[in-house]
Amino acid sequence: MNKALFLISLQHELAMAIGNKLDLKAMLKIFLKVCFNRLDLTSAHIYVYCDQSGMPCKSLPLKGSSYQHFLSIPKNKNGLPWSKNTRLANFARQLNNSKKSISFQCDNGQYLCGFIIPEYGLLTFETHYELANEVQKALQPILQKLATSCYTSIVHDSLVKEINSRQLIEEKVAFQAQHDGLTGLFNRQHINFLLGNALEDARTNEKAGSVVFIDLNRFKPINDAMGHTVGDKILLTLAQRLNSLNTEHMDIGRFGGDQFIILLKNLREDYQETIDQLIAQVNQLLTTPFIINTNSYKLTCSIGYALFPLQSSTVNNLIKFADIAMYEAKRAKTQRGKQYQRVMSDKIKKRLAYVDDMKQGLERGDFQLYYQTQYNHYGDIIGAEALLRWQHPVHGKESPGLYIPIAEESDLILSIGQWVLEQACRDIKKLEQLSLPESFNKIAINISAKQLIQHDFKESILKAIKQNDIPAKRLALELTENLLVENIEDSIKLIASLKENAIDCAIDDFGTGYSSLTYLKRIPASVLKIDRSFVTNIAQSSESAAIASMIISLGKTLNMDILAEGVETQEELNCLKELGCFHYQGFYFSGPLPFNEFAQLFK
Amino acid sequence: MATELFTWHTISDTLSDFKSGLSLAIESGAESLLVLTCSQNNYPEEELNALFTACPLKLFGGVYPMLTLQGDLIKQGALIIGFRETFDVTLFTQFNHVTTENSLEEFITSTLKEKQNFRGQDNFLIFYDALISNIEGFIDCLFECLDHGINIAGGGAGNLDFIQRHCIFTNSGIHSDAILLVALPRTLNTSVAHGWKTFDEPFLVSEAQGQTVQSLNYQPAYEVYCQTIENATEYTFNNTDFFDIAKHFPLGIKDINNNIIVRDPILAKNNHLQCFGNIPINSMIYLLEGKVETLVAATEKAAINLFSNLTNTTMPTTMVFDCISRALFMEDEFEKELNVIAEQCHSGTLFGVLSLGEIANSQSGAIRLLNKSIVISSW
Repeated sequence: MNKALFLISLQHELAMAIGNKLDLKAMLKIFLKVCFNRLDLTSAHIYVYCDQSGMPCKSLPLKGSSYQHFLSIPKNKNGLPWSKNTRLANFARQLNNSKKSISFQCDNGQYLCGFIIPEYGLLTFETHYELANEVQKALQPILQKLATSCYTSIVHDSLVKEINSRQLIEEKVAFQAQHDGLTGLFNRQHINFLLGNALEDARTNEKAGSVVFIDLNRFKPINDAMGHTVGDKILLTLAQRLNSLNTEHMDIGRFGGDQFIILLKNLREDYQETIDQLIAQVNQLLTTPFIINTNSYKLTCSIGYALFPLQSSTVNNLIKFADIAMYEAKRAKTQRGKQYQRVMSDKIKKRLAYVDDMKQGLERGDFQLYYQTQYNHYGDIIGAEALLRWQHPVHGKESPGLYIPIAEESDLILSIGQWVLEQACRDIKKLEQLSLPESFNKIAINISAKQLIQHDFKESILKAIKQNDIPAKRLALELTENLLVENIEDSIKLIASLKENAIDCAIDDFGTGYSSLTYLKRIPASVLKIDRSFVTNIAQSSESAAIASMIISLGKTLNMDILAEGVETQEELNCLKELGCFHYQGFYFSGPLPFNEFAQLFK
Repeated sequence: MATELFTWHTISDTLSDFKSGLSLAIESGAESLLVLTCSQNNYPEEELNALFTACPLKLFGGVYPMLTLQGDLIKQGALIIGFRETFDVTLFTQFNHVTTENSLEEFITSTLKEKQNFRGQDNFLIFYDALISNIEGFIDCLFECLDHGINIAGGGAGNLDFIQRHCIFTNSGIHSDAILLVALPRTLNTSVAHGWKTFDEPFLVSEAQGQTVQSLNYQPAYEVYCQTIENATEYTFNNTDFFDIAKHFPLGIKDINNNIIVRDPILAKNNHLQCFGNIPINSMIYLLEGKVETLVAATEKAAINLFSNLTNTTMPTTMVFDCISRALFMEDEFEKELNVIAEQCHSGTLFGVLSLGEIANSQSGAIRLLNKSIVISSW
């Protein structure tokens, strides 16, 4: 082939090898490979001009764009990438400075021949022969075409990058819209959407499913005591564990807080078995303690579920029903889960009506405070516990065991608590006007969990004392052990602050809860009340006696007074005395009395 | 001192003979065995597999259409060469899973990483299944990814019927769809020749895909090829087996230094030409022709070049990868080619294979797949 034909064919082959790919690196690689084979190269290299972020760009002379090594065939030389080859780097610098093609014979006899890719970069060939001048010139139009293709690829790459980042953002937004930020599970909104789809599918294809509602038991104390970071880690771990149960026909979501929902779809006829199995699996997941920052946390959960379309075909109802069933399971303290029953809703309706009734009763003045006196071992009255009584206009005397828990579930307990506080203060004021014995100390009122977490709780107490103009030392608060533990840090602060204001606190029902001794030591309470369950038949039960004895020693150690509740017999009294408990409350002395009768005791 | 210490061959096609040869080789004190067998042998594959897996020495090699020993052609039988050193052998398999350039690169780089980039190993023999889907992709990628230059020589194993069978030997058995890299303990010197000359103006490869040339000068490749040959020679393609004529007229790709890479057109299908190696689109290709004398002369020149450059300190082992289609072209005169090599090889063992495609370095250092060529390698 004559020289002219060779040059034309070379130009043709190289020109046709340009622009076969849109991606810059791929496009340049194809070009380099053709150069490599056709020009019998030992190695071939491309440097490209880059912007400040290192992305290939058009060279702008005034801005002084820098060039960077971009591609080499082969990739390495003597164990090092070509980008670190000093000889090549020096040659590239020389080439960039000269702004025109240059060639150079190396010490090892090899040749380096460099070309400018106009405005886009540098092209270098290493050969074992000297590249003829006419070949170098024949490459010039090719380089111009290569530059155009670089421009196209750079634009394409930046578009691809933009599309990708937009896609990533869109995916992220879509993910965030559907998933819970903490756990990555579906969020409430998306679970609602999925349930809607599942209901539609169930309707069209005659399928069945279930909404399983899971709520952690006693999670709040952990969150309060250990902080949300620990709580969040537990929730995240639980979410991961729940995810391990995931199947094709299951959607798992976080409904909020410590509540999770599992959506079971395509249930077969043996659905009960499937649901029971799931409940067992969820409980099994919780048997492994959550280890967070070397601390171990053991949790349980309550589970309720509702079936669709059997029990409802609307999203809201199904979730509501599963939630109701979960609360029933929580109330029943069962880990076996509860299926929603219509009677549960009826019960709720009744409860709501009952709460309404209570509200009216409070307004009508149907509530009264009764006082159960407290005695020392000399038989002197040392104080009394104010107890709430409701005289229903129709039903007569309602049991506190019934209405207090219901009031506690609703916010009505706050109104009731406030009334109790104010009424007790009014009664104290009246008592103050009598000649109270020196032994008489104070009237104690019971405080509920909801009251305790009110930000203005302390202020409301001080206000009631002030309004009634009574000595603060006459009022005491009774808080249950469990209540204290649930809000331990806040409780400690509150009790200390009340104590500074001469208001004492007693720990009620002591011995029935799970308070740690470490906490107990920090709670600045004045009185420990031994729960009635350890007092009843204490003379016959060595176990009760042992516990009571332990509480008494504990109280002494912590410098707290000990008061035994529910003392009903002489025998119990004697036993308590022997154990070293000298303050008592119970029917043996007196039952709860209306204020007037109670006041009579001091006349 | 000779680099090998044991040479055994048989022209028997029975396994029992091969077994006795292998036993002798195992007892010879050699550390590694190069085992070459002819594709015409009647070796039951399972038994051969069992023999190789039970072999206590490092074993490598393959099945080739024919073998050579000194100046002789072995059409059936086997050849075993025992070496004093334990050779490092790397097997690449399951190429059917490697479908993209990126996955091939990943596949090779992961193996290179395992092998510490063959650090300190610069000389290799390569045995490969000739019907592997992308041997050129592999050697290009190997060249690109290796962090140092290597000297390499090798040839495609298999059968002349172009049906893929197990044909690569290692201690783990016989493999198909595989490539075997054998690191040599000494410097490999190679010399390459083909002897084919251009006989007509070049053609533009206007359409091509891998090894298939669809059109030349924008006309159906097969028609252009046939017409050009028929116009210039007495050959007519009608009623004649395509390869019977095509073996005389391979295609050639010329590089800037006038080196010709030969491509063997082995099949005509759908007016396309199927070659035994890639033909780049938009390249210029030539029709080549050759005579036995020019081919043998080229081989002789290559042999002289190689052997005159070898140092005399050791007795080298010389292995020849000679393209089977040269033998088919030269027919009865093929042994002339073997003899000119044997005449130049004054010491050490000279043996080889008739291969389906050859591999060697080009002058620039790149690794090339060759057709209708001869690679003489000594170490």
